[in-house]
Amino acid sequence: MLRKLSLWAASALIAVTSLNFELQESPGDKLIGVWEPSNGRSRIKIDKIGTKYYGRVVWLIEPNDPETNLPKTDKNNPDAALKNVPLKGYRMLKDFVYQTDGTWSEGTIYDPLNGSTYNCVIKMKDKNTLDIRGYIGVQALGRTDVWKRLATAPAKK
Amino acid sequence: MIKNILRIAGTMVLPALLIWGCSGSGTVHEYSVNDLNITLEGPLFEGPNQGQYSLEIDLKSILGDAYQEGMLISDARLTSATVAPGDSLGFGMVRSLVLSFASDDAEVAMQEVAFKNPLPAESSSVALDVAPDAELGTLVSGGTVYLVLDADLAEDFYDGNRSFKINLTLDLTVKS
Repeated sequence: MLRKLSLWAASALIAVTSLNFELQESPGDKLIGVWEPSNGRSRIKIDKIGTKYYGRVVWLIEPNDPETNLPKTDKNNPDAALKNVPLKGYRMLKDFVYQTDGTWSEGTIYDPLNGSTYNCVIKMKDKNTLDIRGYIGVQALGRTDVWKRLATAPAKK
Repeated sequence: MIKNILRIAGTMVLPALLIWGCSGSGTVHEYSVNDLNITLEGPLFEGPNQGQYSLEIDLKSILGDAYQEGMLISDARLTSATVAPGDSLGFGMVRSLVLSFASDDAEVAMQEVAFKNPLPAESSSVALDVAPDAELGTLVSGGTVYLVLDADLAEDFYDGNRSFKINLTLDLTVKS
């Protein structure tokens, strides 16, 4: 009798745990992780805030400004008040919403090299590869970059 | 001649008066919230780490007796933001802080609103540099705002969490 009860309790616990896990996971969450753009000069960590997805720079191949030898800041930001925000940690992917067609859109990508923000759509080619398409106005007028998922935490620099 | 001048003036001034009359300038209310606790959950790694706080902005409770049905927030500006350590670790190993506002609304984009870079050494509380042009009306009018704090750590921190307390003051422009 006791053994039956223990088995029942264990099954119930597994069922509740699985249900809870399923409730927390959203299909869009597969985007969460650390990714490397094709040029290999930075690494971007994608997280979820509320129901939207955001990506920030967590690693730079060249973290310091060669002219000042200080950590790079967002010196090309069009908002003068934000030019001293550190580039490492900068949220360059913003406000992506997962869509029923399996893409993440409605978001923007920021290019710190020229301080410009572009519309952007993200497609997952496979679980470790993203097509990141930045564009102005219509998607046809844009450029796609391929990002690879990093299996481990970024190396120290 | 005078008739023509009056006619031209009328066509220019009347629409402007109408637009001004319909839109109104609204009234500005100062809104402060204190001791919002933001926790960065460990393990934390060298570099930027984020924590978030979900802030409910309920105009009815902010305005109290002054609230009238149909009132809404047309504009919001952050006027001050201070951050203090929420634990005994102080600001040790924290190089910089960036505060952003975000919303679940697909039409509303996240905005950086304040930062401090670098963080002054040995400080017990720090006033962030506020971006005065950050227009936050659409962000806060939705009701729920996510406050996102990015702390750039100088070293890995595996032993638990780091927490910070935030005080904010916003100027809310309210229209009927």
